[in-house]
Amino acid sequence: MALTIITLIKQVPLPSEMRMGDDGLMDRTKAKSITNIDCQFGLEAGLQLKKRYPDARMIVCSMGPQSFEQSLKRSISMGYDEAYLLSDRKLGGSDTFATGLAISTMLKHLGFHKDSKEPFIILSGRQSSDGDTAHVPSQVAEAMGLPQATFIERIEANPDGTITARRIIEGGYQILKLPMPCVISFTPTGIKPRKPSLLGAMKARRSQIVVKSVDDIKMSEENQKLIGINGSPTLVAGIENIESDRPPIMMAVGNSEKELVDSLIENIEKGGNELVKKEAKAKKEVDTTGMEVVDLRGDNKGIITWAEVTGDKIGRPSLELLTPARHLAEQLGNDTKITTVLIGKNVKHLAQTLFEHGTDEVVVVEHDKLEEYLILPFADIMTQIICQRKPEIALFAATTAGRELAPRVGMKTSSGVTADCTALEIGDYVDRKNSRVIRPILHSRRPTFGDSKLATILGSVYPQISTARAGTFAVPEVQAGRTGNIIEFQPTLKDEDFVTSIVETVRGDGGLTSLFEADIIVSGGRGTVGEELKLVKELAEALKQQGYKAEWACSRVVVDEGYAEYARQVGQTGKTVRPKIYIAVGISGAIQHLAGIKEVGKIIAINQNPKANIFRHADFGVCGLYQDILPELIERVKQGYAFGVTK
Amino acid sequence: MEENIVKTDVLIIGAGPSGLSAAIHLADLFKQNELDKQIIVVDKGQSVGSHILSGAIIKPKVFSELMPDVKKEEIPFNSKVTKDAMYMLTSRTSSFKMPFTPPYMGNQGNYVASLGEICRFLANKATEKGVEIYTGFAMSELLYDEADNVIGAKCIDTGVDHNGEKLENYVEGTGVQADITILAEGTRGSLAKQLIKKKNLHEGKNPQIYSLGCKELFSVPEGTISPGEVYNTMGFPAMQDGVFGGGFIYGLTDNRVALGLVLGLDYADPTYDIFRALQIWKTHPFVEKFVKEGKLLEYGAKTLPEGGFYSLTKYYTNGAMIVGDSAGFLAMPALKGVHLAIYSGMCAAKTALEAFKQNDFSEETLKKYKEFVEKSPIYKEMYKCRNFRQGFSKGTFAGMFNFGTQIITGGAGFCGKLSVKSDAEHTKTIADFKKTTFKQKYASYDLDKPYVFSKVDDVFYSGTLHDEEQLVHLRVKDMQKYVSENIAKYDAPCQYYCPAEVYEIHTDRNTGHKELRIHSENCVHCKTCDIKEPLQAIEWNVPNGGNGPDYKNM
Repeated sequence: MALTIITLIKQVPLPSEMRMGDDGLMDRTKAKSITNIDCQFGLEAGLQLKKRYPDARMIVCSMGPQSFEQSLKRSISMGYDEAYLLSDRKLGGSDTFATGLAISTMLKHLGFHKDSKEPFIILSGRQSSDGDTAHVPSQVAEAMGLPQATFIERIEANPDGTITARRIIEGGYQILKLPMPCVISFTPTGIKPRKPSLLGAMKARRSQIVVKSVDDIKMSEENQKLIGINGSPTLVAGIENIESDRPPIMMAVGNSEKELVDSLIENIEKGGNELVKKEAKAKKEVDTTGMEVVDLRGDNKGIITWAEVTGDKIGRPSLELLTPARHLAEQLGNDTKITTVLIGKNVKHLAQTLFEHGTDEVVVVEHDKLEEYLILPFADIMTQIICQRKPEIALFAATTAGRELAPRVGMKTSSGVTADCTALEIGDYVDRKNSRVIRPILHSRRPTFGDSKLATILGSVYPQISTARAGTFAVPEVQAGRTGNIIEFQPTLKDEDFVTSIVETVRGDGGLTSLFEADIIVSGGRGTVGEELKLVKELAEALKQQGYKAEWACSRVVVDEGYAEYARQVGQTGKTVRPKIYIAVGISGAIQHLAGIKEVGKIIAINQNPKANIFRHADFGVCGLYQDILPELIERVKQGYAFGVTK
Repeated sequence: MEENIVKTDVLIIGAGPSGLSAAIHLADLFKQNELDKQIIVVDKGQSVGSHILSGAIIKPKVFSELMPDVKKEEIPFNSKVTKDAMYMLTSRTSSFKMPFTPPYMGNQGNYVASLGEICRFLANKATEKGVEIYTGFAMSELLYDEADNVIGAKCIDTGVDHNGEKLENYVEGTGVQADITILAEGTRGSLAKQLIKKKNLHEGKNPQIYSLGCKELFSVPEGTISPGEVYNTMGFPAMQDGVFGGGFIYGLTDNRVALGLVLGLDYADPTYDIFRALQIWKTHPFVEKFVKEGKLLEYGAKTLPEGGFYSLTKYYTNGAMIVGDSAGFLAMPALKGVHLAIYSGMCAAKTALEAFKQNDFSEETLKKYKEFVEKSPIYKEMYKCRNFRQGFSKGTFAGMFNFGTQIITGGAGFCGKLSVKSDAEHTKTIADFKKTTFKQKYASYDLDKPYVFSKVDDVFYSGTLHDEEQLVHLRVKDMQKYVSENIAKYDAPCQYYCPAEVYEIHTDRNTGHKELRIHSENCVHCKTCDIKEPLQAIEWNVPNGGNGPDYKNM
């Protein structure tokens, strides 16, 4: 019985092809298509697994237009044997729920299901660069009833047929053990995708991609109603441009490093120059006279959130979540309650923290087996609670756990999920087709298309599920002594929910995922190589000592010269970071680097060259030798200064 | 394990005009002769055209010979040349229009084109004829039989670290065995170089000499230039520096202008920087008016073989033929190689047909290639200008005189075959170069203009990318000697001539020790370092397939 390795891929526009246009937005119109980078890591993981199972049958699958054949052929040239493309006009405009449903239907049709006698494993990328949701792997797993592991870096095949997987979690990693069949999604940090061989390319040229339609895969009539633009539970209601241009720089003035730093601090306090925005065009008011206003919520009522517990504490992102939750509750009015689900072992005492942050009710689920988060039981429990309590909105923090849990729950409740939102509002939807206004409805806003646009996404199935980008919302102010109802919930736990086991969980100082979480990043460029970034590191360290989330990073040249590991590289070929403050030290501001800091809150540039390009793209500038400026800044930080960032 | 060797009939390495023409013509000939043979074309660029860079002004006639069934209108030329003028830039600010176009340089009836676009067109035609084109694969070595006859080539092994150690994603390069291997790698082809050396194919020839062309493509406001307007410039800044060559400015559709500077690499100044010369040239009022309001779209750089007739290498050996720029087929002074590349590809195709008919792939049969070339327009064009470029190696003014005498004597000039040194040998040490160096001369030249770019910024616009995990493809043969000779005596010319800032000299702050740092990821595959570095101290090798620039309309 040979193993079958199935890898799911998507084709996307090449991110590096997307150049910034005159308007500061990504121009993706001329972009070429590539196999999504994360998916390439999935493909490689499959080929690595084949080393352990040399007889494995290698299958690659995708869903999309005919042009996706390009990526499927490339997969064959890397070493895959068969390729299937699910391509049908009926699927056009499918959201992630519909995509997960369609792909899982195809896989079942191909003979792969939970009880297949032949062993198989499904691999995929973590998320696509154009959609950025990371939903589909979870949804496929749920639709097929398989265990899953997402955000995986590496896997090992064990002699007993199980898989050991290394999962990236906030500030560390976790080792999981799963049985096959299962679904595993890969981050782009594992083994790099191989180059195709010419022999493989020749094989690909002679191979046939099997194209399947919705009818070919025998999708049920009922399910066919759930796909495509009309069937999908979510729809994109609007897209607007994000104005990402920065205002002109505010330079520090002074004759000594002390004066310069004083001036810089003063500038930061002033908030910098103002961006003169172009007048936004007045939005066309849609004439809704004569339209019926309908409320489709039925008996769904209230907002439910999930509180993630790590190390006997409620995770910060789960507390942040209570800010938009309260906002929505107020908008909905009518005594809308916020219910938070708290799952774990001995977690009841944490309910008080939730009340003090604004939760009205806490559903406590305690069980010895629930000490640590595991996708299967947690998804089951959340679903049971949602089915019982029927909320209209369910919110999850977009952490590694939240981003896999929400879609899995969404699949179980047939709800669409909106990932990684940065704004949540209650509004209307003018359903012109049926000449009616749906009110109230959740507007989930999320950056998309390389963060150059803001999409508003609506859900038509209740509860509407969204995940909120960590760090976007402030933690609500603590209302000491505030209390609420505690409801204990006894879930039905199935043995099969515990087929995955956690071998080890390591949460350290975070390694480099902390670059994404840092509020302040101190970054060194070519100019700082001379002293091996000593002062850059010192400034970051000083901020850390003061209790801020700070980290040091660098530009490409520093990595090239061997003074930092690649993981610290910021820029087009490195990481895109979003701290509140980015301090660019000795960085000239090459275009490649700027691409990685476009979304930074405020950029502070320190450079001795007044003509350095970085000054044209920063908010605050200090022109001077960093060797003079940084020690002064470090001193201020030690005295408590933190560039206006709060802990 | 599957056998990682593929057998085919014809392997063509390089999907430029010469390789694709060879493929197209050979496919036609096979069909006419009812031979069922497989033709494989392999190119290191990520797609056809990615590594193609040319002015380009193209003589259209050759296309009707290559593809008699294709109408001229089908070929994606950009625009017909409507205006053709030569300007002499006499100083930093002044210029005059030359009253006539120098002989062989007229462009009536020619077309401005993006050669990349033309190549994509040719590739489609070839594919229609059954040719298999594989892009993104770099062939790094030739395969030989026991008798040292060429029997194919092998792709580079991928998935290795900087030291060549195999990584987890290691993939062995596929070997391709073929009855005939046609090397069409373009200027300074690395396999052609290996073959020429091994088989001593350049014996008795002049060394090949090259120019480096740096080109920028701008989007400009309406009315700046019309499509088909062609200007060539002589003079500033190169002539004043004693360097051969000039500039070109071509108007393209959609309000775009292609411009660049093409300068001979046979200069003596070790600090000469052609990229910087291009930036300086753009500040001349005659050029500035075209780019002042422009927005950079693309950048690229490439060398071209200018040695001409006497520098042509022997372009055939047992099992292999060399076509196009790799062999040195380029007509000076018009600086046109595209049509000659196509003719050479066609000649090689005719020869290959003969070889398959006789089932003999030895030099005995392949020498027909030379006969075909000599009967083709290549010979006519190259022979009459056989001494053109060599005459300029003493500077443009001496060259003008020499060229004049050549026109009168039908190409011979006053002294038969002018011999030349290689470009690398022309570079003088700092001590021997008595004049003001380029570096000194332009040290304080005001280049703070919006249309002037740094090398690094321009490289961004070449779209160049290199896999991190591979052997560095630029290798210094002896680093110790490099420090004591090339850095100490020549001031490391690579830091100046390289148009992509691949080379950097790093000085240790404390000890003052200088060392060479190689940023191979910037490389735009122009091969200047392989050509120009004194003592031939740097070797250019092919990096992984699909690496290098990603030219779209160059």
